[in-house]
Amino acid sequence: MRLNTASAVIAFAGRLEEEAAAFYERLATAHPARASRFLDLARENRKNKARIERSYYGVITDAIEGSFTFDLAVDGYTLDPGLPADYRQALAQAGALEERIIRFYREAARQSRALLADIPGVMAAIARKREARVAELESLARETQGPGHFGGTTLHGREDAR
Amino acid sequence: MAVLEEPVREVQLVRNYIDGEWVESAGEMREVTNPATGRVIARVPASTGSEVAAAVRAARAAFREWRSTPPAARVRYLFRLKELLEENFEVISRIQTQEHGKVIDESRGETRRGIENIEVACGIPSLMMGYNLEDVAAGMDEYAVYRPMGVFGVIAPFNFPFMVPLWSAPYAVATGNCIVVKPSDEAPLSQMKLTELVEEAGFPPGVWNVVNGREEVVSGLLDDPDVAGITFVGSTGVARFIYGRCGAAGKRCLANGAAKNFILVMPDCDVDNTVVALLSSFFGNTGQRCLAGANLVVVGDDDRFYKDFVDRVVAAASRIVVGYGLDEGVQMGPLKGPEKKERVAGFIESGLAQGARLLLDGRRPAIRGGYPATCFLGPTVFGDVTPAMRIAREEIFGPVMSIMRTRSLEEAVALANASPFGNAAAIFTTSGKTARDFQYRVAAGNIGINVGIAAPMAFFPFGGMKDSFFGVLHAQGREMIRFFTDVQVVIQRWF
Repeated sequence: MRLNTASAVIAFAGRLEEEAAAFYERLATAHPARASRFLDLARENRKNKARIERSYYGVITDAIEGSFTFDLAVDGYTLDPGLPADYRQALAQAGALEERIIRFYREAARQSRALLADIPGVMAAIARKREARVAELESLARETQGPGHFGGTTLHGREDAR
Repeated sequence: MAVLEEPVREVQLVRNYIDGEWVESAGEMREVTNPATGRVIARVPASTGSEVAAAVRAARAAFREWRSTPPAARVRYLFRLKELLEENFEVISRIQTQEHGKVIDESRGETRRGIENIEVACGIPSLMMGYNLEDVAAGMDEYAVYRPMGVFGVIAPFNFPFMVPLWSAPYAVATGNCIVVKPSDEAPLSQMKLTELVEEAGFPPGVWNVVNGREEVVSGLLDDPDVAGITFVGSTGVARFIYGRCGAAGKRCLANGAAKNFILVMPDCDVDNTVVALLSSFFGNTGQRCLAGANLVVVGDDDRFYKDFVDRVVAAASRIVVGYGLDEGVQMGPLKGPEKKERVAGFIESGLAQGARLLLDGRRPAIRGGYPATCFLGPTVFGDVTPAMRIAREEIFGPVMSIMRTRSLEEAVALANASPFGNAAAIFTTSGKTARDFQYRVAAGNIGINVGIAAPMAFFPFGGMKDSFFGVLHAQGREMIRFFTDVQVVIQRWF
């Protein structure tokens, strides 16, 4: 699936955040020892959704090219909502999920950088903040049993979208 | 992608709002159709002269108390209205898509622009202040006061049915005037939603009235001696007529007319971003806006640049997704009505007959979702357009790009300045000097520099030059405040 309008991209970002939030809520239920932190992450996801929507609704006008800016293939960013029973695998799943969301925001910000006012800046900021999450999830995995591996790309060397 | 839910699901009976009451009109009804689906969504009256007169009387009666309401108290109604509009932002935006056909990003943009004007008008306690000077002579002081004038008529076009009345209405009422709004009879529903929120915000009866209809409503406003002035957006012919009538009657008038906007592309432009901006400029709102690009002028004698650039534009335009604007994947909606589609198709025929080269033919577009083709045209691009052709001279008000070529910036500016219209012009370049030369020399009211839709924010004036505008003061911001007020100068001494 390809997204070509700001409306579609913002809606997709909202769905990613919601799905990720739901994942962390399930993780919290399954692993009560860390429930508080996972519920914080879920809340933060919903704040991100609100922040993206606020930036869009706050600046969308006919002077910016909302309907024509994007050509974004999003199949690679869809999430696997399943929650592995194994805690370590669940953390790895969370890490992969975060990496996908980071890649989505980076690409959306890159495509809209010159054309959509505040929106790419907010996307890039959320992507940057998420890097800390990935590190935290890696750390949690290490606490559980040896070095964690999330099967995704490392964060090093990524081009910053701003 | 799914189609967003429609807020208007049943046929709405449009009523007038006079003196704080919703009243049915005795006038003949006409149907309002969603141009994408072909479904009737409303029945709107052609209100009668006596109904207009009743609205003006109500406004006149409310004026005395409203003008003496402190400005800080008057704008509290606007603050409340702004809050209500934010709460209803999405519903209002989707209604615009249903009634007009524009895509949802465009409708939301229109809603935001409208709200921004209310936000600016909320500053009236500061913005309306006069000025004074002590000791203009020994023991004498002098001061100037801006005073409201009475009742104003606000006449709206179909292409921005929600936003354009808000270029005027919030400033009019914030400065202490009362208004009679005539919404577009082709797209009245977003104004009706706005009026419901005006009522909910608690404006006193008679301050904000709405009368739906056509020529009879306009004539009623023009002829009524209690109407102090008119704001209008529409065609040049009607703008000129209204301006003349207002002048003869001693009314204030601000009348925005048609446009034929020139967009210049220099060989040093940022091609990737320029192409996207051009799509928005020429095909956004399906070309139905007075700031839309109409003539694309590629400057310079670099044949290779010209060919590559035009190929890029045509390829990008050919990928635009056409369909119902509530589908978030759709980039361009239908024209507002079948007669408008026929008119634009006539221009395409004219371009062909006069020898322009059809690079992209939008007459049989693929319509996503299988909606009826009644009002749809796809993006259309003509090359080899010459200044004498109709498609280069007249306002098409549809998704048609006419590409011309000049050797120099001077030649391109001369081409733009030869047009009788002067609403907007834009240039795409990475040279500050070139941009400055263009801005300095071109005769247009709204200039875009690497911006294809040069739409002024609410705190800047919106208005064209030449046959695109009739009046002195422009819509929005400080000029609108001056438009709605008379200045009274007091010179005083005390014995």
